[in-house]
Amino acid sequence: MAFDFNSLLAFIIFGVTIGVVYGIVALGISLIYSGLDIVHFAHGEMYMFGAFFGLVLAHNVGVPYPVALVGAMILTALLGMAVERVFYRRLTRAGGGYTVAGMGMIICGFGMSVALVNAAYFFFGAEAEPFRANLDYIPRLTFPGDINVPESYVLTAIISVLLMAGLHYFLRHTKTGLAVRAVAHNKDIAYLMGVNVPLMISLIFGLACGLAAAAGVLIGPMQSVQVEMGYLMLMKAFAAAVVGGFGSLPGAIVGGIMVGIFENLGAAYISASHKDIYAFLLLILVLMFKPSGLFGVEAKVKA
Amino acid sequence: MLEVKDVHAGYGNLKILRGINMNVPTGGIVTLLGGNGTGKSTLLKAISGLIPLMQGDVFFNGVNISNMKPHQRMRLGLVQVTQAKEAYPAMTVEENLVLGAYTRRDREGTKADLEKVYEFFPVLRERRKQLSGTLSGGEVQMLVIGRGLMAAPKMLMLDEPSAALAPKVVLEIFANINRIAKSGVTILVVEQNVRMALILAQYGYIIRDGVIMMQGEADNLISDPAVKDSFLGGSVADTSKALRN
Repeated sequence: MAFDFNSLLAFIIFGVTIGVVYGIVALGISLIYSGLDIVHFAHGEMYMFGAFFGLVLAHNVGVPYPVALVGAMILTALLGMAVERVFYRRLTRAGGGYTVAGMGMIICGFGMSVALVNAAYFFFGAEAEPFRANLDYIPRLTFPGDINVPESYVLTAIISVLLMAGLHYFLRHTKTGLAVRAVAHNKDIAYLMGVNVPLMISLIFGLACGLAAAAGVLIGPMQSVQVEMGYLMLMKAFAAAVVGGFGSLPGAIVGGIMVGIFENLGAAYISASHKDIYAFLLLILVLMFKPSGLFGVEAKVKA
Repeated sequence: MLEVKDVHAGYGNLKILRGINMNVPTGGIVTLLGGNGTGKSTLLKAISGLIPLMQGDVFFNGVNISNMKPHQRMRLGLVQVTQAKEAYPAMTVEENLVLGAYTRRDREGTKADLEKVYEFFPVLRERRKQLSGTLSGGEVQMLVIGRGLMAAPKMLMLDEPSAALAPKVVLEIFANINRIAKSGVTILVVEQNVRMALILAQYGYIIRDGVIMMQGEADNLISDPAVKDSFLGGSVADTSKALRN
């Protein structure tokens, strides 16, 4: 294939858009990790449930796409909070990721993932469903060199930026956000400041799952929605989180974008049928040369 | 103000405190003394609710708080100042202070108290936009005390405010604790620096192996031969003069 600058640009633009979606899911994983010291292995299923909630709201209930997006985020946040409250809290209360209970937590996450997949088969069926969304009011973007960016990609970019900005504002400029950061750093001190720690943990979980749901609804119109979609997303979001530096929120976004670009370029110039490998290739490269990730935060030291 | 009755507590199956009785009267400064691993910090955690009691009760202003969660106890005005190393290093000085006032809803009062903290510790005002991880040891200690004050406490519990600080800085910190007490806040200070603590406080408890070994008026303790032998050496007059001027 002759080198064509325009198509390279196009691959990068599409890579970035899909990458921010990975980034949003990775953001949730990082949020939960920094808040609870646990790696949440059922996060891909939250993304999948989010996509299905959006689908049901848009097709069966018939609400407009943006409403379906918000609705799916809220429903998934509630689902995530319920799962945390009922299943995870017992384990996290016994200690975080560095204890024996932390190991139990990982296994519990896997179990939850399997349980949620099967619940989804029961409720939504095994067929891949196309997510038809009417996005005519979103402008198509045309870049120089005849690069056309479809509406769903434009919308994805806009919503992702809005979500990230919203999360940033919440964490940096609100009192509750300050409390969330306090809990993420040290739960005991947060308690002594009068922060209702269990409530904040619920909130962290809800936020993270809401973000995953947004990613699901955004991906919906690009790919179809199916029960098994969570697994690969989880893996790629993990890759994104590790590439950016586990636990770092800006790192999650940058990592996601890098995974997106890398994947698209690999698919374009090496082999399209091995598209899903490139994310992990990048992951391995980063782990070899900068194991703490690009925005690596130092390991938290427990007193 | 604070009454500790026959408290037993520890971690898991390991019992560290074995029947502690203690009383902190309103408006006073009481000190709890003891070496490393004697149960001082465990007792503070039991009082503030970070670890559950195995036996006994804790009363705050006559209310039994034994079964309350830490944030509920804190909302009653029982505020624990953490050890200095436990500021939030990734937050700015001002964010740390604002976090101290997390439970408060009165904006005006909070603002006024922020000013008050900056008056107590002017160096914090200079550094308010700095990450607290970049402060010196003494400054972080001032920060955690200031953070405690932001909660508008009725009673402040301090966990080793002199730890790892130069004598001159310790003096400054203790002089400030004295000022805070004068402004009407009851104080319980846990210390290893026996001399300084007994000069500051009116009443002292000495804890060893999870039991109160000795207690009494600070003036009596400081001249007690047993205390003198095990904890003190030399004259206290100079330090006393420097602290009170």
